[in-house]
Formats: sequence, C-alpha cells, structure tokens
Amino acid sequence: MTTSALALNGLVAVPVGFVLLAGLFARRTSDNLALGIAVLGSVVTFGWSIWLTLLAGSSLGDTDFDEAWIASMDVRWHLGVDGISIPLILMTTLIAACCLLSLIKHAPQCGGRVSLAMLLLVIEAGVLGSFLALDMVLFFVFFEVALIPMWFVINSWGDEHDPVGRRRAATRFLIFTVLGSALMLVGFMLVRSLTGTFDIAEIAASYTPSGSTAVAASLLIGLGLAVKTPLWPLHIWLPDAHAKAPTVGSVLLAAVLLKLGAYGFVRFWMPVTSVDWDGAPVVAALAVIGIIYAALACLAQTDLKRLIAYSSVGHMGFVILAVATFTVGGVQAAVYASVAHGLITGLLFFVAGAIKDRYGTTDLARIRELYGRVPRLGGVFAFAAIASLGLPGLAGFWGEMLAIRAAVDQSAALPGGTFAVLAVIAAFGVILTSAYFLAVMRGMLQGAPALGVPVQGAPVQSPSAQATTDVHAMEWVAWSPLIALTVVFGVAPGLLLAPVSDAARAFFGGF
Amino acid sequence: MPDAVQVIDWFAIAPALILAISAAVVLLADAFFGPPRSRRQALIPATLTVIGILAASVPAIMLWGETRATFCIAEPLGGPTACSFAVDQFTLVFWGIVLFGTAVVALLGTVEVAGGRTPHGEWNFLLLCSATGALTIAASRDLITLVVALEVVSLPAFAMVGMRRGDARAAEASLKFFLVSVISTAVMLMGVSLVYGATGSVFFSQIDSALAVGVGPRQVAVAGTLLTIVGLAFKVAAVPFHMWVPDTYVGAPVAVAAYLSVVSKAAGFVGLMLVLTFALQGFADVWAPLVAVLAALTMTVGNVLALWQQHAVRLLAWSSVAQAGYILVPFGAAATASSALGPSLGYLVIYAFVNLGAFAVATVVGTRYPGQRLSDYRGLIREEPWAGWALAFALVALAGLPPGIIGLLAKVLVFSSAAGPVTWLAVVMAVNVAIGMVYYVRWLMELFRPATVDGGSTYDVPNGVGIAIGMTFTAGIAFSIFPGLLLDPVLAVLR
Repeated sequence: MTTSALALNGLVAVPVGFVLLAGLFARRTSDNLALGIAVLGSVVTFGWSIWLTLLAGSSLGDTDFDEAWIASMDVRWHLGVDGISIPLILMTTLIAACCLLSLIKHAPQCGGRVSLAMLLLVIEAGVLGSFLALDMVLFFVFFEVALIPMWFVINSWGDEHDPVGRRRAATRFLIFTVLGSALMLVGFMLVRSLTGTFDIAEIAASYTPSGSTAVAASLLIGLGLAVKTPLWPLHIWLPDAHAKAPTVGSVLLAAVLLKLGAYGFVRFWMPVTSVDWDGAPVVAALAVIGIIYAALACLAQTDLKRLIAYSSVGHMGFVILAVATFTVGGVQAAVYASVAHGLITGLLFFVAGAIKDRYGTTDLARIRELYGRVPRLGGVFAFAAIASLGLPGLAGFWGEMLAIRAAVDQSAALPGGTFAVLAVIAAFGVILTSAYFLAVMRGMLQGAPALGVPVQGAPVQSPSAQATTDVHAMEWVAWSPLIALTVVFGVAPGLLLAPVSDAARAFFGGF
Repeated sequence: MPDAVQVIDWFAIAPALILAISAAVVLLADAFFGPPRSRRQALIPATLTVIGILAASVPAIMLWGETRATFCIAEPLGGPTACSFAVDQFTLVFWGIVLFGTAVVALLGTVEVAGGRTPHGEWNFLLLCSATGALTIAASRDLITLVVALEVVSLPAFAMVGMRRGDARAAEASLKFFLVSVISTAVMLMGVSLVYGATGSVFFSQIDSALAVGVGPRQVAVAGTLLTIVGLAFKVAAVPFHMWVPDTYVGAPVAVAAYLSVVSKAAGFVGLMLVLTFALQGFADVWAPLVAVLAALTMTVGNVLALWQQHAVRLLAWSSVAQAGYILVPFGAAATASSALGPSLGYLVIYAFVNLGAFAVATVVGTRYPGQRLSDYRGLIREEPWAGWALAFALVALAGLPPGIIGLLAKVLVFSSAAGPVTWLAVVMAVNVAIGMVYYVRWLMELFRPATVDGGSTYDVPNGVGIAIGMTFTAGIAFSIFPGLLLDPVLAVLR
C-alpha cells in the first residue's frame, strides 16, 4: 500500500478503529479510560489529517486511491483530496477534536458519555469519508453514515427539559435528510445513465450536461443537497435539530454536517449542471431569500440556540450564492465561507452550551449581564458574535465579502443584472445580521432589554450564591483553536484562497 | 429414433430430491421417537431438517457455474428442445435463498415446542415439503411445472399457519391465507390457459418465440399475461392483493410468518421473474407499466400503513409489503426484461436474510411477550445484547442506512434500474424510503431505551434460535463490509 493510500484510507479507518477500541475498553475497564481513548482518537485523526494535507497535491490525481469495491455495480472505492476538500477535512477533524475534548470536563446529565463520544467519532468518520469520496455511490454511503448516530445524539442527549421535542427534532432531521439523500441518489443514477460512470473526477472532466434527463439529474441532486445545506425553504428541520441537540451535537451539526451539503454542491452538483440552464439564478435567488429570511427570523428569536441556528441558514445562504455563480471565485468563496462558518458557529454553539450549563437556560430574555457575572465567557461570546456578523479582520468577513464579490463577478453565461441585484440584497442581509447580533449582545452581555424581545421573568440567578465559574481550562483548550483560526484566517485569507483556486481550476477544467 | 425412456439428469434435481427425502425421514423419525418431551428432544427434528438442507446444498454448490436442463422434449419438427427443469445461475442464487431461509426457519421453529401445542415432526415435514416446492419453482421452465411447484410451496404453508392447537386466530389466519391463495391460483390458471391458447405452448422458450413471431390472437395473449401477473401478485402480496398478509402473519407462529415473508414470498417473486423475463419478455410494453403502478402502490400503502402499527409482527408484515414494492420496481422499469432481473434478484437476496434476522429476534421476544407490542422491545440492547444488536442491524438495513450498508446497496441497485426509464417511480421510491424511516426508527428507539427491569436478562434464548440469529447477523455484517462477495455473483446471473 502506498503512502497516499494509507493516508486516505486511514483518515476514515482511524476514527472507526478508535470507536471499536473505546467500546472494548468501556466494557472491560472504567469509563474514564474509554473516554480518554475516544478523545485520543479524535486528536490522532486531526494529526492524520495534517499528515494527509502535507502529502496532498493541488489536484485530485496527485493523491488518490482507486480500487474496485462492487465490481458488478461498477462502484469503486475511490478516495482523493484536493484544495477544495482539504480545508473542510482539516476543519472537520479540528472541530471533532474540540468537541471530544470538551466532553472531558462536561458529563451529560443523562450519562452515557462514552457512548456519546463514540457516536461523535462515527459521525466524524462518515463526514471525512464523504469529503474524500470521488465515487458518487461511495459519497452517498458515507453521507448516510452520520445520520443514525446523529439521530441518537439528538434523541438521547438532547434538551433534557423537552423529551418530546427532542425526539421530534431528531426524527424530523432524519426524515428530511433521508428524503433529500434518496432524491440525490436518484439524481446520481440519472447521471450514471448519461455518462456511464460514477466517478465524479471523470464526469467533471468530460461531461457536458444537456437534455431533459440531465436537467432532472441536476435538479434531484441539487434538491437533495439543498435539504442538507440547507437552502430556504428546505431549512425547516434545522432550527429544531440545532436547538434541541446537546452542545457537541449542535457544534457538529452546524460546523461539519452542513458542510457536506455545501461541499456536495461544489463537488457533485456543479459538474452535472450547465450554466446555460435557468437553475443557477433560481438557486442563487433562493439562497438570497434564505439570507434575508434567516436574518429576520433571528430578530424574532427568544432562544439563543435557535438564533444561532437561524444565523447558520443565513451563512449557508452565502455559500450557496457563491456556488451558484459558477466561477473560481465562487468556489473560493464557498469553501472560505464554509470554513469560516464552521469555526465561528462552532464557537458560538460551544459558548451557548456553556451558558446553558451555567444558567440552565438559553432564553434570551432571562440571561443578563454576562459581562458582570462571567466576563471571560461574555468576552468569547462577543468575539464570536462579532466574527459572525462579519467584522473585517476576522474570518466571517471574507466569507461574505467573497460571496458577494463572486455574485457581482458571476460567470459570463449567467444573467448579470439578476446577480447584481441579488448581490445588493445579500449585502443588505449582512446589515441585518449585524442588527440582531448587536441586539443580542446588548441584552445578554450588557443587560439592556433586547430588541424585539419582550422582557418576561426575572434574570436567572447563578445556581450557587457565589459567582458562577467563568470559562474553565478545558473550555479554553477546546475553544482556543477556533478563536485563533478565526483571527488567522481573518488576517491572512490568502492561506486558503490560493490552493482552492488551483484545485477548482484543475477539477472543473477551467471556467 | 429418440429414446422412449427419458434421460433424467439426477444431479440437477438432486437438491429438490434430497429435501423431499429428508421430509419423509423427519416424519418417520417423529413416528418412532414420539413427540418431544423436552427442549433438547425438540431439537431432533430441527436438526434432521438442517442436516437435510445441508445435504441438499452440497449438490447445489457443486452445480455452481454449470447450466443443466432436464425433462426435455424434442420438437417433433426438429426445432430446439424445450425443457421443463433447468439449473443455471439464476436458479442457484434462488436456491441459496430457499436453503438458507428454510434452515433459519427450522431453527426458529424450535421455540414453538416450548408451548407444546405444535406437533413438531409434522411441522418440520411440512416445512421441508414446502421448501421442495420452492426449489422446484426456481428451476421450472414451463407454466405447468411453475403452477404445480407454486402450489407445493403454498399447500403445506396453510397447514403450518394453522397448526397451533386450540388457537382460533391461527385457524382464522390459515383459512384466510388458504382462500386468497386458492383464488389467486384460479386466476393464474385462467391466465396460463389463455397464454397457452394464444401461443400453443406451455414452455417459456416456446412462448417467447411464439410471441416474437406473433402467433395467435394478441388480445388473448395480453389478457392471459395480465391475469397471470395478477395471480402472482397475490402470492407476493402486492397492493391491492395484499389484504391477507397482516392477519395471516400475526395469526401464524412467528417462525411461520418468517417463512411466509421470505421463502414463500420469494417463491412468488421467482415465479413472476421467470414468467416475465423468460416467457413474456415480448410483452414488456404491456406489463411494465402495470408492474410500475403495482410497485408504486405497494410500497406506498405498505409504508403508510406500517406507520401506525404497534404490533411488531404486524409492522414487519406491512414493511414486507412495502419491501415487495421495491423488489417490483426494476420490472416496472424494464426497458428489456432481462435488465430487471439482476437488481430485483439482488434486492430479494438481501431482503431475505435481513428480514429473517428481524423475525428471528421477534421470535425470542415473543417467548416472553406473546403480545409483541413494540414497547415490549424496550431495553433489549442492555438485556440481551446479541439479539438486540442483531435486531438493530436488521432494522437499519431494512431502512437502508449504514451500518446496514448491504440494505443501502440494495436500494442503490433498485434506484439504478429505475432512474432513467421511469424516473417518477424512483422519486416515489425515494419518498417511500423516507416514510419507512419513521417506523423503523421508532422501533429502533425502543431497543435503546433503558430497560423496564434492572438486572440480568430474563430471556431464555433457545439454542436453535440463537444459531439462527447468529447466521443472519453474521451474514449481514459480512456482506456489509464486503458487499462484492454477495452482489458480484448475484448480479453476474445474466452476463
């Protein structure tokens, strides 16, 4: 086995191996040891992804592994990486490691910490497999791996005050995603009937979509991915799932699982879609509606986790807007905004979880004056919120800025006027985003009545008479990589942009 | 001058013959030993049955890769010979399902003895008789053999359903099953005779060539085709010919329900596949739209009605109706009938052992909770981890999600056949897969809830059932990791 084959397959195998190991230890020895093994697994996986990054070249052919898997169905075990998938892989392994690290000090109330850690690792393996897979059926298989574990995470470890609600949220998440992915599979099969192959690298290089079957295929694949990403109006599963999931579940959902949809759009939807169809402007319009809709919905939220969930819909709107421009700049913006959203929203959900641990609620009307009570926690929240609303100098800014720029500078085949209008509306969405985050900060951190939120009930007191503990060491460990990278990518966006543009040119064979 | 005495290829018919002989042996052994008095004694007929099945599988395995035909007649005018009984890859794949399924069911049957209400020797005798019919149907290459073999599958099954002494529900289930089956046979015979009338032959190969040439009135042949399909649709329980399924499954012992949902249903499917691909291929434009509509109806009705079930076996009954819809899809999409055979057969094989796995665990739970409510499965993972995980795996595989990758690939297979020719059917199926998720997950959730009783397991899993669960679970896991081992030979059937 060559080095790159080992690196590619190992990235999926390592988390799975550690899951088995942790399961073995959980039976034989103490829970703490098993949890330690799971955490070690996530850290090793992160290290492994860095090794893979060092090996990887800029295009898919440089590092790939291609073996027959089911010969009779022409399904191949084809894995590979390029500049488009590498940033997402690194983000996934990093966020997963942060999630598992945060479990060390934070035992869920209903117990089963080791099981939770194992499920997170399984989800990680599935997501990594999806980012690596270059065969459409293989992508579909990995895409589905995360579903059942995520359903368990929400259903068993979700909001402890609302068992019915978390069950409904979990099941709705599952059904929406399964329906979406099944439609996507039908689309893949149609593409196969046109091209004779499941290999997306080959399809991207040589396939020119035309005809009604090709339109149907693109539509079905887009529909399936739109559920996952999510694209308005298919986002309705998302707020509940994010709000009811446990902290680590929300972080993984928002930071990692949504990126499967975004990545799928770049890798599997763009090659099978022709710019000449009317699909791209429609998708872009839906994305922009999502941006505005999410911002307005955020203004009306009374729950911090739901608010962050809706803000995710808006951010993913920017990603899809960028994709729909069919340019190298658009791909750059999509990848950049995805990574930025993963880091920032992951951090926001971590902080929201920390607030919930300390005060037992995420009700915006009842959490007050965090600057006075837990200044460091308040500070981290302020940082994440400002990053999320797109302050220049932090990662969130570039994601949105690049997306809007791509919309203005869209592919020549697309209607320029429409995209210009959409870009303006999207920019207006940025302003709305600032409005709601600033309102939340004023209310939650400083104590002023939040905008549009009726004051009801007394502010929560800390559970003990003493001041509630501020950010503790383990939380710093889990959060600091996210904070640091948000700053790094804000200051030096070029780190990410150059490899993505090389990879996009290589993958699509030039725009 | 041809021989007056037909030359019979004994090796080709050996598996069916061995099963028939084993049936007689089991019955005789029962007469000598008398009814089993303990659970250990009850294993004797089951063991004999399994030995018979293993013996039958030896020639079946040796036949792999060969194509043999027997019971042939030469065309008087020197045309090609037509044969009634043929063994090829298709036959052998299906024999695999039957032998595996029957072995599992025989082992599950050991549970019934604990109640003491089922005569065990007869039970195994009937099982083997029915399985003999199932082996024959896969090898049949003319309509008469097909109908007779199908009846050999069904007749013992009626008795097996109603065999529990003093159980009014079992008797009702048996009667219902019997009536529906008889009617479907009558309808099918009507269709068969019309096809015969129109084409002048009962041999598939001759019907096929007659239709290609266009002998006889076309309308009669079309009517015959439709009636034959309707008759077989009763057997595979396609909607709207499914009404008998839930009551029969619930009334019958769980092991028999498992047999009906896998081996007996597979026999119906194989009949359908043979008739459609070997005999009526020329009429694909007539039957494909009909089968497509049947498939869409079957999966939708099955899934939607399964949503409300609280009874585990009834839920499995409806789910097996829905799964039958998926198996029909490739035929609804048939551009050429032979292209449908691979995906359909692949799905059938996978469905067979996954569904048997679910039924096997239901047998275990049924020993303590004959009511089979879904809430009775609560905490099974903690209490009885092996059975619990086996059921969890079977459920996710039936739903088509990882880690049940083999179930997922089964869906991929069917999607691949439908996308393109009948994309609408593929989309209907995609929606159905999502609906199905709801009830599989509802059941799955019960397994992982904390158990009602603390402490150790209160289940007493009989050895035979333990082996059956192990067989299905191992097969599921192994084929999920190496799907090529199963799918490559199955899909190679027609290449």
